[in-house]
Amino acid sequence: MEYFSIFLMLLVSVGLACLIFGASYFLGNQLPDTEKASVYECGFDPYEDSRNKFDIRFYLVAILFIIFDLEALFLFPWSVSLSYLSSMGFWTMVDFLFELTVGFVYVWKIGALEWE
Amino acid sequence: MKNNICFNNIYIPRAVVLPSVIVLETTNEFSKFYEFCRFIEKYPNRNFPGIDTTMDFSLIHQNCFKMFLPEVFLATSILILTLYAVFIATSKKLGYPLIIKNLNRLCVLVLFMTFLLIHNISVSFLLFYQNTFIFDLLSSNVKQILVIATLFSLVISEDTVIKQKINNFEYFILTLCAVLGLMFLVASYDMISLYLAIEMQSLCLYVLAASKKDSSFSAEAGLKYFILGSFSSALLLFGISVLYGMTGTTNFDNLHLLLSGLGYDTSFLITSIEKALLAISAAFFFKVAAAPFHMWSPDVYEGSPISSTIFFAIVPKIALFAVFVRTFQTIFSSFEEFFIVLLIFFSICSVIVGSFTALRQKRLKRLLAYSSVGHVGYLLLAFSSNSLEGVQALFFYLIIYMLTGLCIWSVVLSINTKTNLEKSKTLLDLGSVSYSNALLSFTALIAFFSLAGIPPLAGFFAKLEIFVSALESSLYFASFVAILSSVVSSFFYIRLVKTMYFEKKEEDTSGIPVNHSCSLVMAFCSFFLVYFFVDPNFLLLLAQKMALCLF
Repeated sequence: MEYFSIFLMLLVSVGLACLIFGASYFLGNQLPDTEKASVYECGFDPYEDSRNKFDIRFYLVAILFIIFDLEALFLFPWSVSLSYLSSMGFWTMVDFLFELTVGFVYVWKIGALEWE
Repeated sequence: MKNNICFNNIYIPRAVVLPSVIVLETTNEFSKFYEFCRFIEKYPNRNFPGIDTTMDFSLIHQNCFKMFLPEVFLATSILILTLYAVFIATSKKLGYPLIIKNLNRLCVLVLFMTFLLIHNISVSFLLFYQNTFIFDLLSSNVKQILVIATLFSLVISEDTVIKQKINNFEYFILTLCAVLGLMFLVASYDMISLYLAIEMQSLCLYVLAASKKDSSFSAEAGLKYFILGSFSSALLLFGISVLYGMTGTTNFDNLHLLLSGLGYDTSFLITSIEKALLAISAAFFFKVAAAPFHMWSPDVYEGSPISSTIFFAIVPKIALFAVFVRTFQTIFSSFEEFFIVLLIFFSICSVIVGSFTALRQKRLKRLLAYSSVGHVGYLLLAFSSNSLEGVQALFFYLIIYMLTGLCIWSVVLSINTKTNLEKSKTLLDLGSVSYSNALLSFTALIAFFSLAGIPPLAGFFAKLEIFVSALESSLYFASFVAILSSVVSSFFYIRLVKTMYFEKKEEDTSGIPVNHSCSLVMAFCSFFLVYFFVDPNFLLLLAQKMALCLF
């Protein structure tokens, strides 16, 4: 019974997702063409040969995105619990942001952000 | 339930907890005070007459910060060096200079400063940051050894890095990051910090293995190391999560109290914890390349640029062994019967695989990789004797092994520098070294004989200590196998010496210039390999101090 509320949450969210998706599927006007019907995957054709060469910069951008995404993810719980933390907790985060900035400066200077 | 303490939903008798918490194994007043504060922090509802229990605990952490001064210094230096290097190396005005040599020397300086800072800490025991980290003689000594070994490996590989055209300055910064990770690893006293530290150091090592961008061997080595390393990390995480699921804590101290207090009545719990123990030790055997899990190490050693190979071969092992021994002595000490069998099995596998596969190797780096598998076997044998003498022998052997390793790798760097560095060195390259450079070949002879354990050298005592401690713990079969394979392994060390002295190479028998730093390190190591045979007391005492932290 401990997890009953989570189970309810699961049921409601699954139901809601089915409802919204089903409504847009059955009630909306649909005019498919090739571009719309194909899978959207960052500009690549998802069904071509997997051994094709493509630019490593896609990976670089993705990795950098993940790092800064996680930074935001880390900031949320910190900002909520800031009132419970001592000054140590505050300065730890400031240090974290500073170190991330150093990494960002490095990435910038080394030229990883330049597309051409 | 009045006499029991609720501890993560498990009731343990107060009689078990209180003495262990109150025991103040400390030398100065500050740590006693800290221990007491920790005690109050744990049981805030108790009344202590005359003591204000509502004090600000953040003030205490400011003092804990002093324990991390070396690490903080190293981390700050890494940041500063990164900024310095990236601004200089991309500066158009200076003409995009190569700052490899400059950065190498700066890293050596930083490491030396770190060594002094570690040496300077006068506290001899402290648990800090909510018991996440520990500072004791074991961790501080291993940290010092780590830093010095890295310093030496950077010094000897300076010229090689330039010759190999590893022109990215990140190489050295990653080396420093790996050392920082290893220092955290040695200090960690909680499964979370242990896992994070292992990840930190191994991520740096993967990049170091792949650091020669234009070589496909290096890329292959990096990828192999990455895949197998993350597999072992996943195993480690699995073990930790089982342990957490069974006990509800990740802290070494709490785990120690819980697992020694529970007794053997609940068999499901026991088998689960044995599974956790199996997963954690498998991950550890992966990391140190013990026998059935050794497959990655020859390929990684062979493919990586030689400067990275030196770092892999010399530095991380002592930190991994220190933290492994600590984990087992604190957490799993009541599961002796189970894990000793495990250790003996892996030890026997390692010594056999190490000695018999190394017989057929043609390439120097692969041969040294297999020989290091064999040495891991001896180290595990020392640990499986599960006594103070055994752990002492383990640390003694590790230090001697690092000295010998430094010596051998500087010899490998020094031979054959005229021909192409791309080609990996084979045994034949050692041919007729004695004609071209007699001193170099004599140094190599000392190092190889010491590895083989031949008497007038320190390696003899190291092996003797291990076998004596194993025999005292009645591990007759394991020591029998280990001694026999030690005989087999001495064959290929002696064959190397024979190649150097009695085989003539056709081309190029003129004198080989050995670079200055390599020759200094070789002289230092070979001197101590002889000296520690005459007077091993210093090292034995050091090893005993380290071992005493765990018993």
